[in-house]
Amino acid sequence: MIVVVGLSHRTAPIAVREKLVLEAADLPDFLRALVQRPEVGEALLVSTCNRVELVAAGRAGFDSDLDQVAKACVDALAAHSPGIAPHLYAHVGGTAVRHLFRVAASLDSMVLGEPQILGQVKDAYELARKAGTVGSVLHRTLPRAIRAAKRVRTDTAIGSGQVSVPSVAVDLAREIFGDLSGHSALLVGSGEMAEAVARLLKVGGASVVVVGRTLSRAEELANIVGGVARPWSALQQSLVEADVVVTSTSAPHFVVDYEMVSAARKARRGKNQFLIDLAVPRDVEPRIETLDGEFLYNIDDLSKVVSDTLSTRTREAASAEAIIGREAEGYDRWADAEQATPTIVQLRGRLTAALEEELSRSMRGKLKHLPETDRAAVLKMLESAVNRLLHQPTIRLRQAAIERSQEGLSLEQLSAAINELFGFDAESEAVSATENALTEADLEADNSGLSLSPKARVVASRN
Amino acid sequence: MTDVATIAFYLGVITYSVAATLFFLELARKDGDAARAQWAPRLLALGGALHAIHVLTASLLSHVCPIDSLHFALSFSALIAVGAYLALRQRLRLSALGAFIAPIALTFLVGAQFVGQSSESTQGVSRTLLIFHVAANVLGIGLFLIAGAAGSVYLLQERRLRTKKRVASMGSRLPPLDALDTTTHRLLLAGFPLLTFGVVTGAVFSHQLTNTGGAESLRSLLGYATWVLLAAVLVLRKTAGFRGRKAAYGTIAGVVCMLLVLLLYVVRASVGGNL
Repeated sequence: MIVVVGLSHRTAPIAVREKLVLEAADLPDFLRALVQRPEVGEALLVSTCNRVELVAAGRAGFDSDLDQVAKACVDALAAHSPGIAPHLYAHVGGTAVRHLFRVAASLDSMVLGEPQILGQVKDAYELARKAGTVGSVLHRTLPRAIRAAKRVRTDTAIGSGQVSVPSVAVDLAREIFGDLSGHSALLVGSGEMAEAVARLLKVGGASVVVVGRTLSRAEELANIVGGVARPWSALQQSLVEADVVVTSTSAPHFVVDYEMVSAARKARRGKNQFLIDLAVPRDVEPRIETLDGEFLYNIDDLSKVVSDTLSTRTREAASAEAIIGREAEGYDRWADAEQATPTIVQLRGRLTAALEEELSRSMRGKLKHLPETDRAAVLKMLESAVNRLLHQPTIRLRQAAIERSQEGLSLEQLSAAINELFGFDAESEAVSATENALTEADLEADNSGLSLSPKARVVASRN
Repeated sequence: MTDVATIAFYLGVITYSVAATLFFLELARKDGDAARAQWAPRLLALGGALHAIHVLTASLLSHVCPIDSLHFALSFSALIAVGAYLALRQRLRLSALGAFIAPIALTFLVGAQFVGQSSESTQGVSRTLLIFHVAANVLGIGLFLIAGAAGSVYLLQERRLRTKKRVASMGSRLPPLDALDTTTHRLLLAGFPLLTFGVVTGAVFSHQLTNTGGAESLRSLLGYATWVLLAAVLVLRKTAGFRGRKAAYGTIAGVVCMLLVLLLYVVRASVGGNL
């Protein structure tokens, strides 16, 4: 199991969050230092504008004392950025897994359903992997978190639409014109939102013309958005040339009226035109909407689209939470089953060692006449016998780990019985799960009874 | 061979049906699933291939050149519409048009089965010219079917953006207005010479044939109406900037006339040419 320690927009104001800045270049060293601590075996760090979270596992894998791991993580973050400790939260075990899954699925983001977080989680995993601070637990947990997040995005509308007015405006422009390259945009007036729309249009490939009552101000804005400035007198001509018109002036009257657009429409020979009126009071006469090929959206229209999108996302969040719940339950079952792994490894090691010892003796004695091919066949036969012998105990141990029912023997009881029967000594019991944990492929091989895993052989040789 | 034609027909019907359903689901879905969305055009392409196999094997079986029979000509038109749609889909972001094209192809594939052999006498008509007449019409119908579909989707998309309803929920599933307008125009440009040839040769045949009745006159009238409407759309676009919604309405009206001409052919063939 894992722990998640950190802070986010939910627990810390920006003044605190900005204290905890970890440069990407420093991260590998920070993580390596963290896993040098006796309690922490694995770690990665998810860092975004709104959150910094350490995801860590103990040195003893699934048997670690997670409270100690969490404490070590808190200490590490607090040591790096003094003063943040009161704002740190720590999730442990199943709660931490659910939290990580929710974070990756953007259910804990400031903007619900934002798509960046999944990429940031993937980047964090990749960075830690390269730094060598990811072990068997995180190697199995992070892919599950990423898979859960992808399922949420695929099966729900949590990421649908745009949630900012400028993005909605540009999306609508694309619904009218398709690719924006080769199209022209006219920005009338200034304003933060209009500037953002103009920037997005420019990024989309449109050319931008800025018209303002003050030419110097228009030139300044044109420089910012990468456009061309024109004087106010060029407004009518600019209307003819523009496919997208963004208005945001503080004029108390209509700046773009019906007659202007009607005249421009004739000159444009009926080509579609999209007018985005971001001003209050409005800059564009509403009657323009009645003209064929003229599409007018004001700030209320755009805000309603944003609001509808957010409502959709909020509705979808319930379905997303259900998916996360199912994925987390699946993780819990798998993690429970993992607790049986040390006993299975010991059992397999003991049987393999015994059989190999007997085989080796026979090969030197009564069976020394056997050619290489026959020796290999005998070895393979014994391996198959071990797999068949261990198949049922393996399943039973895992069931006991998962079910934890009152009826029947518990994993602890079964493990104790096996230890007693086979006489595993203290040394063998101390073989850490992390050191000897079977990979998923190994476990599959165990289930299919195909062969002994190499790691089991290592244990066997130790025994 | 009969089995191949029959199997291809039934499989074609199934794949067209599934493709049409997927296209509609794609329009109705809440959010994107790129993998699922890609299946609809793939199935439409598969349906087109089966459709082609059916037309070829069935025509070989009955020893009829596909364009010599109304039955096959109708089927072939839909096949051309499917091919043209698949060719244009990616380049012009026209995926949503599949919701129109797949049902049209299905209707033509199935509908053609109920069309009997035309008993119309073609004595006194140049066989070469007749083949070119039918070929031009088949190709033109295929192109105009997509133009009509593009015009219809244009009206849907324009209405949605104008009324500002379902703007957030529909997202960008319908093609951009400009792409639809350009597609309609290009298809009209490509199909118009074929239509003109079909109308002119049709007029020549009408003059040469003696068994013309009321239905034949109505068919000619509707053929001329189609030509006039589509010519008007093209000319007015060039001279008066007649595009967008008006062009879409004009195109749909022309395509409806064209379909009425086809309907008259079908009805006449079904009643044994007694109209």
